[in-house]
Amino acid sequence: MAVDLSMPILVVDDYNTMIRIIRNLLKQLGFEDIDDANDGSAALNKLRGKRYGLVISDWNMEPMTGYELLKEVRGDPGLSKTPFIMVTAESKTENVIAAKKAGVNNYIVKPFNAQTLKTKIEAVFAE
Amino acid sequence: MAVAIQQHHDRIAAYLKKKPGADVSLADVVALAEITAQSLQSVFETMDAAVHRELREIADYIQAMKAEIAGLHFNELKHTRIPAAGQELDAIVKATEAASNTIMECAEAVLAADARDPAFKAMVDEKMLIMFEACSFQDITGQRVAKVIETLKHIEARVARFNDALRVRDAGGFVSEAERASAERKERLLLNGPQLDGNDRQDEIDRLLAK
Repeated sequence: MAVDLSMPILVVDDYNTMIRIIRNLLKQLGFEDIDDANDGSAALNKLRGKRYGLVISDWNMEPMTGYELLKEVRGDPGLSKTPFIMVTAESKTENVIAAKKAGVNNYIVKPFNAQTLKTKIEAVFAE
Repeated sequence: MAVAIQQHHDRIAAYLKKKPGADVSLADVVALAEITAQSLQSVFETMDAAVHRELREIADYIQAMKAEIAGLHFNELKHTRIPAAGQELDAIVKATEAASNTIMECAEAVLAADARDPAFKAMVDEKMLIMFEACSFQDITGQRVAKVIETLKHIEARVARFNDALRVRDAGGFVSEAERASAERKERLLLNGPQLDGNDRQDEIDRLLAK
């Protein structure tokens, strides 16, 4: 399945520099409709106000982490099918297993490059 | 003290042996009380010396501990070194953020420019120069990190000396409720932070996800 480049993407990270990096990488990959949020609760509000085709979220944020956001998204009937990629420095096995159990679609360890992001997005939409 | 008590018992026994089977008179009770008082006097004297010696040892220990605490230079650490290290770390975060933003601004400008424009080459050259300049943060950041490491080593040396002097064991628990809450949040939400070998784990993570 080809990736729809017009789909809205929500980038969630508490570092604006990281949001800017991911936004630029997504633009280079051809995506144009990119929104952002600085933590899980702000992201959840945006997700409930607009239909997004993909969420790319950091893990370690306050007050609501990306892990909590993932669980909220999967527990909400209106959002549960939204593809979710975790992009994080949390690389311990227990984190990956917990994210997988919570329903993450893919998992990228920071720092990463454009090719990794592209590959993971394609893998999510090939599922 | 055991010797004094034994002597006390011996004296009472000797007194009682002098009066086998006789009725106990008021004078006997007074005599026994006198023996007891005399015996206890020696017990108290023994106790006084022991207690005095122990108090002296405690006082010496407290004095030594005060000297070790003074050796920590706690006020210097609290008011100078630790705040300075915190400021260095803040400066590192700001410098890396500023450098990242400068480099991204340049890259964004180059990507957005029209390569057919005659001014394109000059603009790219200028942006490349700015990017090189922005990378100079690395040298300053390295020096700031070295200062923070120096502070940590300073603290480590003093704490280690203090610990050796007092031979204390680590206490369990947390020093404050805030520390407890923070630790519990980290554990509950798996906030482990970056791992030293984290950069090389993407392939392993892909395998975990594929299982």
